[in-house]
Parts: sequence; structure tokens; C-alpha cells
Amino acid sequence: MKRLPDKQLLFFGGKGGVGKTTLAAAFAVRSADLDRRTLLVSTDAAHSTSDVLELELGPEPRMVVDGFWAMEIDPTHEADSYIDDVKRSIGDSAPPRLIDEVNKQIDAARVSPGAEEAALFDRFSRIIESATSQYDRIVFDTAPTGQTLRLLSLPELMTAWITGLVSNRKKVNALGRMWRNVAGAAAGDVSAEEDPVLAALEDRRSRFQRARRILTDARRAAFVFVVVPERLPILETQRAVAVLSKYGIPIEGVFVNRVLPPDAAGRFLERRRIRESQYLRMAEDALSEYSLHRIPLLEEDVVGVAALRRLLSISEG
Amino acid sequence: MIEPGQHNHDGGPWEKLRSRLRAAREIYEGIYVAPYRSAIHREYLEQRDVFFLLAFGDMIGVPNPVAFYTLELYPQLIAQFHEWHIRLGMPSSPEGGFRCC
Repeated sequence: MKRLPDKQLLFFGGKGGVGKTTLAAAFAVRSADLDRRTLLVSTDAAHSTSDVLELELGPEPRMVVDGFWAMEIDPTHEADSYIDDVKRSIGDSAPPRLIDEVNKQIDAARVSPGAEEAALFDRFSRIIESATSQYDRIVFDTAPTGQTLRLLSLPELMTAWITGLVSNRKKVNALGRMWRNVAGAAAGDVSAEEDPVLAALEDRRSRFQRARRILTDARRAAFVFVVVPERLPILETQRAVAVLSKYGIPIEGVFVNRVLPPDAAGRFLERRRIRESQYLRMAEDALSEYSLHRIPLLEEDVVGVAALRRLLSISEG
Repeated sequence: MIEPGQHNHDGGPWEKLRSRLRAAREIYEGIYVAPYRSAIHREYLEQRDVFFLLAFGDMIGVPNPVAFYTLELYPQLIAQFHEWHIRLGMPSSPEGGFRCC
């Protein structure tokens, strides 16, 4: 725990229920205590960060203590606000008689599969781009593994598609220019001006590319996994590590959370400890490339900034 | 180059030369460019259709991973979108997609 990864962007991932939210929050508090302006961002729709900090968080950063801000990105909220933007710009450009009908169709797109995921990624990429100038460190409390891997693989998948759209659109514009040159007035509405569609697509593409560049930059970003000494979280994390490596996303370390403390006694706990030591070995084997840090199981719940501070100091023993 | 208005008398030598050049250009275009005009127009419309298919294919059931992001292009393309589905052979907008007519 002493070696808090000194990265601008830290992602906490792992199977659901292993304590990502608690550890991410504890790290964010520690980071702020070390005079780093720190922002904690939850991308998990379950929004436990509010519960851990005992504070109502929203889609904009809120100061928790000096130098420490927290926020929760809500995919529903993000998708709604994106849809509202589209509707507003349609209001400016669509014939008035069509607006009601068009709005109805856009609402249909709002509930289509992938909409919230795309909106979440949009906000996520804006944060890693812009917030890095306002904060020294951003700690992400990510959604459980599957969702997070999907989110992090989106830039690559989507860049490919958008690139196809960009090159096709350039071709369309080039042909439009040719057509205008040969047709003159007959070309009608084929505009000679800068194409706003191409500009929007290129903007989109460069945002994806920047997000990907930042995520794969080992000097700036790192992923930290949290497991508990049990079979399923270790296996899931082993798979997740392989996927992230495939996408070139750097991994910094693994936290083994809720390890039985040495003073936990009794026959039941002794037997449990034997089991646990098998899983600790399993974690060491499965994740041998990364440094493993143990966090003890505590008697009390970890709620509030003071308890989060205590959690890390106990771990450092 | 002579500024317009300076020597631009009706029937002046510059104007005569200009109108002859214009005529020559029209003849040239008629002979060389006209046969390509329809081909260029067709190619232009075809490529535009491909673009619509890539950008809004989900509306006619073709999966599009970036459908949510291309939605923001729609306001600028509303008029061309109408031409597209007409050319697709759909007299009205595709079901489930935007109804623009």
C-alpha cells in the first residue's frame, strides 16, 4: 500500500462485491492527503460511492474534503442529455412541421441497445481529456469487469467504424465538388462550403483516438485490480488481465482485499485461514506478473473519510 | 486584369473576348464533359447512399456500432435522408427510423 501508483489516471477494477469502491475511495483520500488534487469518478451505475462517502454525489464533481472531489457518472443521465442536445440542434435545422415526428423517432433511438453505453463512454472520454488539467489525479471506480472491459475496448472498435465513415464522407464531398464543377447551377443544393458532417465525424474520431492514447499510456494511466481470496474473483481477474493486455492498457498491481488478520482466532477461522492461504497462493500464481498487496478484513464497516484513512493505515501496519 | 466597370462597355473588346471565351468553354464542355456528367452524378449519389448506409444503417436493420454517435449528424442530413429512402425504393421513411415525410 505504500507504493501508491503515481499515475494521473488510476482505474480500480474487479469482480462485483470485492471492494473496488471502498479501495478506490481510500486511495483517492490518500492521494488528496498527499497534496494531490484528486477526483474520484464512479462509472458504476450501482453508485456505491455515495454510500461509502456518506454523501449524495451527482454527475458533477463535488468537494468531499480539501483537495478531494467525487462524482458519479450516470449512464441514464448522460444518454438523456446527449439526446437533448441532438433535439436542440434539430430544432434549429429541421422544417418545423417535422419536428414532433423527428423528436419521437429520436426518443426511440434513446432506448435502443448500446445508447447508454455510448453515452457513458462519451462522458468518460471527456473526463479523461479535460479533467486532467484540473486535477493531479483521477481515480476511477469502475463497473464490474465485463462492463469495464467493454468500455475500455470501445475506442478501438469505434475508431475503426468512424474512420470508415470519415473516408466515405470525404469521397462523397470530392464527388460533390466534381459534380458541382461539371453541373454548375444544375447541381442545386450541393454545397461548396465546409461540410459540418465531416467536421463532426473527425471530431468524434479524434476524441476516440485521444482516449485510446491516454488509456494505453503507461506513464499516465494504470489499472489496479481488486480481488478477494476466493476462487471466482481470482479467475475472473486473470481473464480480465489478459483482455486489458490485449488492448495495451497498463496494469499496475492487484489488491487482495479482506484477508483474515493474524489475530482472528477460533477453530472456524483457523480452518478458513487454511482455505484462504490456498487462494492466496492461487492469486500469486495466476497474477504472478503483478505485485500483490494484502488488505485485511476489518471488524467494522468502512464508511466515511476517517474510516477510509484508517483502512490504509492499518494495511500498512 | 481590367477591373469591371473600368473598361466594361457593352460590346467593348474585353467583353467580346470574354463572351467568346465563354462560348468556347461551353462548346468544350458540351463535347468533353457532358458525357461524364451523368456518370459523375450517379457516382456521387451512390457514394452518398453508401454513407447513409454506414451512418444510419441501423434504421433499416443493418447493425451499426456507432448508431448513437451518428444520431448527432442527423439534423444536418435531414433533407438528404429523405432522398436516400426514396432512392432505396421506400416511399416513406423506413419503419423504426426517422419519419421525415
